Amino acid sequence: MKKRKVLAIVMVVMMFAGLTACGKNTTTNSTATPTPTVAAATDTATATPEPTKEAEATATQAPAALETVELTMWGAEEDQTMLAEMVEAFKIAYADKANFVINLGVESESTAKDTVLTDIEAAADVFAFADDQLNELVNAGALQAVQIDTDAIIAANGGSEAGSVKAATSDGTLYAYPMTADNGYFMFYNKEYFTADDVMSLDKMMEVAANAGKQITMQFDSGWYLYSFFQGAGLSLQLQTDGTNLCDWNSATNAIKGVDVAQAMLDIAANPGFVSLGDAAFVTGVQDGSIIAGVNGTWNANVAAESWGDNYAATKLPTYTVAGQQVQMSSFAGYKLVGVNAYSDNVGWAMYLAEWITNYDNQVKRFETRGLGPSNVEAGASASVQASPAIAALAQQSLYATVQRVGGNYWSPTETFGAIMAAGNTDGTDLQTLLDNMVAGITAPVQ
Amino acid sequence: MKKTIKSIIRHLILSVLAIVWLIPIIWLFCTSFSAYPGINISKFFPEKWTLQNYRLLLFDTDTVAQFPNWFMNTLMIAVFTCIISSMFVLMVSYAISCMRFKMRKPFMNIAILLNLFPGFLAMIAVYFILKSLNMTNTRIGLILVYSGSSGLGYLVAKGFFDTISKSLREAASIEGASQLQIFTKIVLPISKPIIVYTVISAFLVPWMDFIFARIILNSGISSEQTVAIGLYRMLDKTLINSYFARFCAGGVIVSIPISVLFMFMQKFYVEGITGGSVKG
Repeated sequence: MKKRKVLAIVMVVMMFAGLTACGKNTTTNSTATPTPTVAAATDTATATPEPTKEAEATATQAPAALETVELTMWGAEEDQTMLAEMVEAFKIAYADKANFVINLGVESESTAKDTVLTDIEAAADVFAFADDQLNELVNAGALQAVQIDTDAIIAANGGSEAGSVKAATSDGTLYAYPMTADNGYFMFYNKEYFTADDVMSLDKMMEVAANAGKQITMQFDSGWYLYSFFQGAGLSLQLQTDGTNLCDWNSATNAIKGVDVAQAMLDIAANPGFVSLGDAAFVTGVQDGSIIAGVNGTWNANVAAESWGDNYAATKLPTYTVAGQQVQMSSFAGYKLVGVNAYSDNVGWAMYLAEWITNYDNQVKRFETRGLGPSNVEAGASASVQASPAIAALAQQSLYATVQRVGGNYWSPTETFGAIMAAGNTDGTDLQTLLDNMVAGITAPVQ
Repeated sequence: MKKTIKSIIRHLILSVLAIVWLIPIIWLFCTSFSAYPGINISKFFPEKWTLQNYRLLLFDTDTVAQFPNWFMNTLMIAVFTCIISSMFVLMVSYAISCMRFKMRKPFMNIAILLNLFPGFLAMIAVYFILKSLNMTNTRIGLILVYSGSSGLGYLVAKGFFDTISKSLREAASIEGASQLQIFTKIVLPISKPIIVYTVISAFLVPWMDFIFARIILNSGISSEQTVAIGLYRMLDKTLINSYFARFCAGGVIVSIPISVLFMFMQKFYVEGITGGSVKG
């Protein structure tokens, strides 16, 4: 009996020995474990002006007495090298104010919201995200409102009416630092086939493509692109405060009725010069030459530029024919923003860092190293930026674009509807019924 | 004659199934040798073949692709998890199968009930427990998560132990062997097939897991991630055009340890089955 107990204890000890043995190897490597900061939540509101005061206080002291500020920053994977350089410059610029330990982490802008909201306390102090995530981040209390140099930041990005500022604002408060203004879509085309006049109208483009035995493309089965047709026709989609959508895309009273738009989409889909393709198929089509124009975003600009060479060009979206008129297609304007975690231990310094990586110099640098379009007006107006066809096309399209503010229920009904349109509505279902179904889905209550 | 037709039909069905099953793997394998770094769906086989993707993946790491780090992280987690959870499973199975104690029946019922719940249900709770212990973003945290409840998966091994003749164990205990001696000297040596099965399945859980790793390793430090997460990140829309071929190469390399483990273990698997246990 006794023997057994001893044995049990030995086994338990052995098991823990096994665990600790590997623990030693692992824990030394992981330096970035964020320490839990429950207290930070309560004193964030008062913490903001701190760094300036502290900075002034410490500026006169010897360098050894400088406080050490530890910050974590998340950015896209492909930006890491560039971000590291920006961080080094930041450290030098503020070297007389504090010592910085800045850890860089990887988190794609498109998934930042999900990762941050899983555990806000463990998330980075400064992180980049796409502007459509702003509302949810604000509602969850994850974002610290911008409180340092707010007016200067708004002015640098074109004033409070500019798209990038609107995209970073919720309820009249600026919650994030605009970083890029290039997350929207526009029309790529091959100059070998199209003249600058051809690309003004979708009908003309399809005609040219059909005559050449080629095709132009736009993804119908995606709410992101589908928006172009309905918004362009003057139908409306709005996000309400409770997270549901207000949508009149099935309207029978608007100047251009919902069914007219649907019919126009069916006509486009039926045209031999048109095909609805997703991202991967677009890239493949551009490379093998079967696609000579298409609606897509800057992330595929390199592919188009490489495949078409000197014939590569881009412009705003064309007009399309609906109910007998030519209507300019609208679009979602997409921005990438930098946010400061409201639960950060060093909210003030985090704000300085966020401001730093989105300032004029670094937006220019971001354009030069990665080809990302600046949100900063001055940076955007520079000759080199204007010379980039994709960025210039986005600027043209921005006149017809709206900031993406839609509730989560928008995406799947529109995808279904778009897929039916792309397939040519083979069942022959009444268009009004299809639209009613889609709108019912879009406006459905959350949960 | 009838037999031949039946056989042809059977083989036809089998080959169709085999093709359906093999095509994605062949495509992945071929694409991993493609000279074009992005995704090209117009051709099944790449136009130009190259070993470049493997070279880049293994020796030329950048901020996006840190495959050697990911691989070592995953391998380490998988090896430790494999050892710990194999021990758990075999010991629990032995206890349940060969020993008689009061809680045996209730324990079996509870264990089966608990095992019916998907582990992901407790994911957030697990995350916050680990966080309070400061073990998120550590390999040891993941090892604990993967091996923690593995003992509940005792059913298959218990079934195997049940088939081992009771007289063997009785004979050993008459000779004076303790339970531990019976377990290690009598039962384990004749249970190689089930050990192999347990080891392989225990290795596969952390090797293939995405969800737990994604939620527990949330610091965003690329070099600390596992293969599954790292490779998945390469598919981001801004990265896919330059990393897809490398993603495929990663997919091929990931399958190597599993294949090696299986080939190595297979010998014992067959031996165990054909060796026979009770002699004479």
